[in-house]
Amino acid sequence: MIEIQNLSKRFYQSHYSQSDDHWVLKDINLTIPTGVSVGLLGANGAGKSTLLRLIAGMDTPQKGRVVRHSRVSWPIGLAAGLQSSMTGRQNVKFVARLHGTQYDINGIIKKVQDFAEIGPAFDEPIRTYSSGMRSRLNFGLSLAFNFDVYLSDEATAVGDRSFKAKASKAFKDKVGEASLIMVSHSEGILKDLCQAGIYLKEGQAYWYDNINDAIAAYHEDSDGPQLDKLSLAELQKLRVERRQLLDEVKLAREAIESLSPRERKTYGDTLRAARESLSEVREEIESRQSKAS
Amino acid sequence: MNHNAANSSDNNSDRESGATRGQSGPRARSAWAVTRSVWFAMFMREAIGRTMTDRMGWFWMIAEPALMLLMMIGIRSFIRGDSLIVNAPFIPWMLVGLMGFFLIREGMQQGLGAVNANKALFAYRQVHPADGVLVRNALDGLIRTLIFLLFMLGGLMLDTDFRPDNAYQAIGGWLSLWLFGLGLGLVTSVLGTLVPELGKIVKMISLPLLILSGVIMPLNQLPHYLLEYLMLNPIVHGLEYLRHGFFDGYQVVHGTSLTYFWTWTLSSLAMGLLMHVRFKERLKSQ
Repeated sequence: MIEIQNLSKRFYQSHYSQSDDHWVLKDINLTIPTGVSVGLLGANGAGKSTLLRLIAGMDTPQKGRVVRHSRVSWPIGLAAGLQSSMTGRQNVKFVARLHGTQYDINGIIKKVQDFAEIGPAFDEPIRTYSSGMRSRLNFGLSLAFNFDVYLSDEATAVGDRSFKAKASKAFKDKVGEASLIMVSHSEGILKDLCQAGIYLKEGQAYWYDNINDAIAAYHEDSDGPQLDKLSLAELQKLRVERRQLLDEVKLAREAIESLSPRERKTYGDTLRAARESLSEVREEIESRQSKAS
Repeated sequence: MNHNAANSSDNNSDRESGATRGQSGPRARSAWAVTRSVWFAMFMREAIGRTMTDRMGWFWMIAEPALMLLMMIGIRSFIRGDSLIVNAPFIPWMLVGLMGFFLIREGMQQGLGAVNANKALFAYRQVHPADGVLVRNALDGLIRTLIFLLFMLGGLMLDTDFRPDNAYQAIGGWLSLWLFGLGLGLVTSVLGTLVPELGKIVKMISLPLLILSGVIMPLNQLPHYLLEYLMLNPIVHGLEYLRHGFFDGYQVVHGTSLTYFWTWTLSSLAMGLLMHVRFKERLKSQ
């Protein structure tokens, strides 16, 4: 079980932007039960990796805390935990020693070598590895220890077909002993390996008992509401809302005429998006009306 | 230390899970056991990195100070003859000073890079930034002790008076210098990582410090009003104490005080550790 209590995290981009109040994660309360594999969903920059790092204990939150009642791995992914000047074997040795003497180091090296299947590259420095080889090694390394919860940050994203199959098989074999918290943009893998889902949006986390519901919620937000499913009255309401939004954006656009072109660009983009979304609704209404008449 | 506090919280939770489910597999470790295995793992990693990854790493480890020493001796004996220092042969006198000074200088400079070099390892929550500095410094001290012993052996074979007259004092002085280097390393590792410009300054002052610390020429010859300021530099005190351990009748610079040196050592150690506690997260995310 992992308890997340009042967790808030923000990053200071520079000394100048401390005033703007942008929290990546804001006051999140969750309990991830034992034995349930969870998929983390959200747009780029929604804080998926940040949440994972916080769960792993790599980062500290500004507020709140994470209580780990089980052995949690480091986040398995591309960048994590391999020193690029050392060989694969030396890295494995290092991590084995780090986790204490009760592990048999040679056994672990053997296990990792067998899982990663990178051949003679195992004795080459990590900096010569391709991204696929890195993720194979990192993945194999984490499987060699008996964690209760594995954290995966797109660990299989760069793997080839056979490696992906092998990785998901390895996890399925561990069902019952270990669970998984994973970030992935591949919904196939999420559906395959996870039961529950957490959807991150605007600093908030929403828990779904079923991963499919989480995926559906994510889709709905990223695609916008499905216009063809709305009633005519709802469409009219939406049209008024979007009209108002467009007017606001236009006003804002005129007010910033004195700014440099680069700064104006975002306003221009917003204006265009607002105009498009309005015309979308308008077209939908017109097509309905023409059908009705 | 920050280390134990942070790890114990991890371990308490580990222990709970072990008790409730009675799982097979490794038992929860104590904070000290975690720290020990972190140090062991990092020490082995660092040792291999230092000796094996560079081309002829072992050779340069000995050749670098040896060449430096030869150069210094060459310059000094060219300028003036050998009989400069009262009751101490010149070459061993300078070698002791150089080795002691290098111990501190390397402590400082190793500290500068220690945090960034171990960045990839902070993925494992057991590893703290301070560990990298401590381990590096310990390894560096060990290597330098070995080199020093080798030089002493060489010197004895060449029939110079290299046998320390007071071995306890020599060892004590050597360890004190080592600790001071560690303290400075802890401080520079935090400052140098948070404010990279400071790294340049530390590298810049190392040469003037070599001269001001009386490594190459004895400070005794300087006028008293200058000496008063030079004796503010704690390295002088440590070096003079070490030399006195080697050469019994050696006249230390007036005002040498081990208390002053240890005040600096302990303050820098405390300061460095406190800074590591305070800036741990900043260092990790840097």
